[in-house]
Amino acid sequence: MRPMGRLTDVSRSVLVIEDDPRIRRIVQLTLEREGLQVTEAESGEAGLARLAEQDFDVILLDLMLPGQDGFEVCRAIRRTSNTPVIMVTARSDSHDVVAGLEAGADDYVSKPFVPKELSARIRALARRTRVPEPRREVLVGDLVLTPADGTVTRDGDLLDLTRTEFKLLCELAAEPGRVLSREELLERVWGYDYFGDSRLVDVHVRRLRKKVERDPSSPAVVLTVRGMGYRVPA
Amino acid sequence: MSTTAGPAPARRRRSPLGRAPAPRTLRGRATLAFTAITLVLSTALALTVWGAVSQYLLLQRERATLAQASANAAQLQRGASAAGLTLPQLLAQLPRQTGSTSLYVDSGEWTTTSLLVGRDDLPRGLRDTVVEGTPARQRITVQGQTVLAVGIPLAGLDDAYFEVFPLDELDRTYRVLGTVLLLAVLASVPVALVVGWWSTRPTLRPLERISTVAGAIAGGDLGARLDPQGDPSLAPLAASFNQTAAALEDRVRSDARFAADVSHELRTPLTAMLGAMSLVEEHVDRLPPDGQEGLALLRAEVQGFERLVADLLEISRSDAGSTDVALEDVRVADLLGAVLARRALAGRPPVPVDAPSDAGQLVVRADKRRLERVLGNLMDNADTHGQGLRAVVLERAADGRTVRLSVDDAGPGVPVEERGRVFERFARGAGSTRTQTPGAGLGLALVARHVLAMHGTVTVGDSPHGGARFTVDLPLGGTP
Repeated sequence: MRPMGRLTDVSRSVLVIEDDPRIRRIVQLTLEREGLQVTEAESGEAGLARLAEQDFDVILLDLMLPGQDGFEVCRAIRRTSNTPVIMVTARSDSHDVVAGLEAGADDYVSKPFVPKELSARIRALARRTRVPEPRREVLVGDLVLTPADGTVTRDGDLLDLTRTEFKLLCELAAEPGRVLSREELLERVWGYDYFGDSRLVDVHVRRLRKKVERDPSSPAVVLTVRGMGYRVPA
Repeated sequence: MSTTAGPAPARRRRSPLGRAPAPRTLRGRATLAFTAITLVLSTALALTVWGAVSQYLLLQRERATLAQASANAAQLQRGASAAGLTLPQLLAQLPRQTGSTSLYVDSGEWTTTSLLVGRDDLPRGLRDTVVEGTPARQRITVQGQTVLAVGIPLAGLDDAYFEVFPLDELDRTYRVLGTVLLLAVLASVPVALVVGWWSTRPTLRPLERISTVAGAIAGGDLGARLDPQGDPSLAPLAASFNQTAAALEDRVRSDARFAADVSHELRTPLTAMLGAMSLVEEHVDRLPPDGQEGLALLRAEVQGFERLVADLLEISRSDAGSTDVALEDVRVADLLGAVLARRALAGRPPVPVDAPSDAGQLVVRADKRRLERVLGNLMDNADTHGQGLRAVVLERAADGRTVRLSVDDAGPGVPVEERGRVFERFARGAGSTRTQTPGAGLGLALVARHVLAMHGTVTVGDSPHGGARFTVDLPLGGTP
C-alpha cells in the first residue's frame, strides 16, 4: 500500500454537500488543512450541478437536506457517477445507515464526528485499487478484471461497478479460493480496524452480486462462507 | 458473593409459620370457595338423608315389633285357654324374630324365654302401665344393649305379655348409613376441588389474559393490547385497559423520543465544536501557557460531553424499544485484542490478560459493536472509579455453555450493599464526585443493557487482587 501523506496526494478533490454553514465551513477548513481540494454545495440540487461540471474523488453527503433529501441525491449521483459517496448521518438508527448504503453510498460517518475520522474515511475511499503487479488482468469465473483501468467485463461487455464495488471484487480476486473475513475486507477496502460496521461489507456484496452474478439469488462469483466471510472460486 | 444486574426477581411471598398460606391466585380462592360451598351443601344433604332414613327405619321397626307382639299376645291368649301345653312351652312356641324374648306375667308371676331378660329389666312404669290394661312400648337398655320393650295387656286380670326386641341390627344399619354418608361428604371435597379448578378456568380466562398482557407491557412490549375476542362482558374492560396501555406507550415513546431529539439536536453543534477545537489544536504550540491549559480543559469537557450525548442517545434508543441487535459468531480473543489495541492507541498502560491456551478458538454469540462498548465501558470504569485496570481474564465458564470475561480493577471494590445499584443510570460510587467522573453515570447502565440484549449476564463481585471484578458471561457461539 502506498503511503499517503499530506504532500503526496496533491489533487484529491472533495465535494461537500451540507446545508449547515457552520459544519460546511469547519469541514472545509479541516479538509483543506489536510491538503484536499474542497468544493461546497448547500443543497442536493447545487451538489448535482457541481458534479455535472467537474469530477471529484469523493463526495461527502449530508442525509438531512432541505428539498431533495440525501437518499434521493445519492441515487441521482449513482445514475451518472461511480464516485465514492460518504454519507453524513445525524441519526445512527440502523435503518438510516442501511437505507443510505442501499441508495448507493460507499461509507458513512455519524455526527458528532472528529475531523481526523472524516479525513481517514475520505483517504481510504479515494485510494486507488491495488494492482497485483505482474498481472494486468485478473480472471474471476467468466469475468475479466483490469485493475489499472478499473473495469470489469463479461464476454467483452463492460459492467458498471462503483469504485468501492470494484475494490471489493479485486480484494477477493487477489486471493481466489481464500475466505476473507468481514474484518479483513473492512480493513482492506474501507481502511477500518476490527470494529468497522460489517453491514458495509454485506450491503456492498449484495449490490455487487446484482451486477456481476447471472443469478444473484444463487451466486457463483462472490460466495458466502457462513460464519466466516466471503470468497471467490479458485 | 456477587450481584446480578437487571430487573430484581419478584419477591416471593412467605406466609408466617403455623398459618396455612392463603391461596395467592384468584382462581385458587374461587376454587376454595366452591369447595367450601360444596362441602356445606353435601353435609346438609347427608344430615337430612340421615335424619329421614333413620326416622323411617325406626318407625318401620316399631310397627313390625308392635304387630308381632300383638299377634303373639293374641296367640298366647288363645293357647292359654286351650289345654295341653305348659306355659313355658307355649311361650317358646311363639313365632319370634331372632333374638327377641317373650315374657308373660300373671298376677305377679313372671315367665320368660330367656334367662337374660327378666321382670327386673323392665322399668316399673312400663310394667304397671301394661298390667293395668294399656299397651305400651319403651326403648330401654338391657345388659348394655338397646332394646325395644313392647307390652300388651291380656284378657285376664293382671295378665300381660311383653316382648323385648333387640335393636342392635338397626344400630348396625345406622352405622353403615352414617359411614356411607360421611365418606360421600369427604369424597365431595377432592371432586369439588377438581371441578372448581377446572370450571373456574373459562370464567377467569379474561383475567388471565389481562395479566398476561399487563405482564408483557411491564416486560417492555409497550404495544401489547387486550383483545376482547367477542366477549361483550370483557369489551368495556378491554377498551379502558387498552386506552391506558396506549397512553402509557405514547408517554414512554414521547419521553424516549424527546431524549433522542435532544441528543440529536446536540450532535450538530458538537460536530462543529469538535472540528473547531481540532483546528485550534493545530496551533497549540503558539498559544501562551494559560491558553494551552484552557484548551486542554476545553478538550476534556467537549470529549466528555460527546461521550455523554452518545450514551444518552444510545440509552434512549433502547428505551424507545429500538433494538437492532446484530448477533453473530465473534472470536472473543480477537475482539478483546482489538479493544486493548485501541486502549494502547489512546495512551493507556498495558494490562495483563489471563486466557487459556486455546482462547483463539473461543467463539461467542454477540453483537460486535455492543460487546466492544461493554468491554470499553468496563475498562473505562476501572480507570475512572477503580484506580486503574488491573487484569482481564478470559475463560470458559464451568457450565461449558458460556464464555466468561472478567475485568479487575485496583480500587477499593464495590460494597456489597451498592452492588445492585451500580448498574442503574447515574449511580455513582459513594466516594466519587461529579467533577472527577464526567459522564460516567451511564456507562455501567449501558453495559447492563448491552449484555442483556446479547442474552448474557453481568455481575460485580470481588477481584482476587482486592479490587472490584466485573464479570460478563456470554453464550458460546454456534460454529467454532
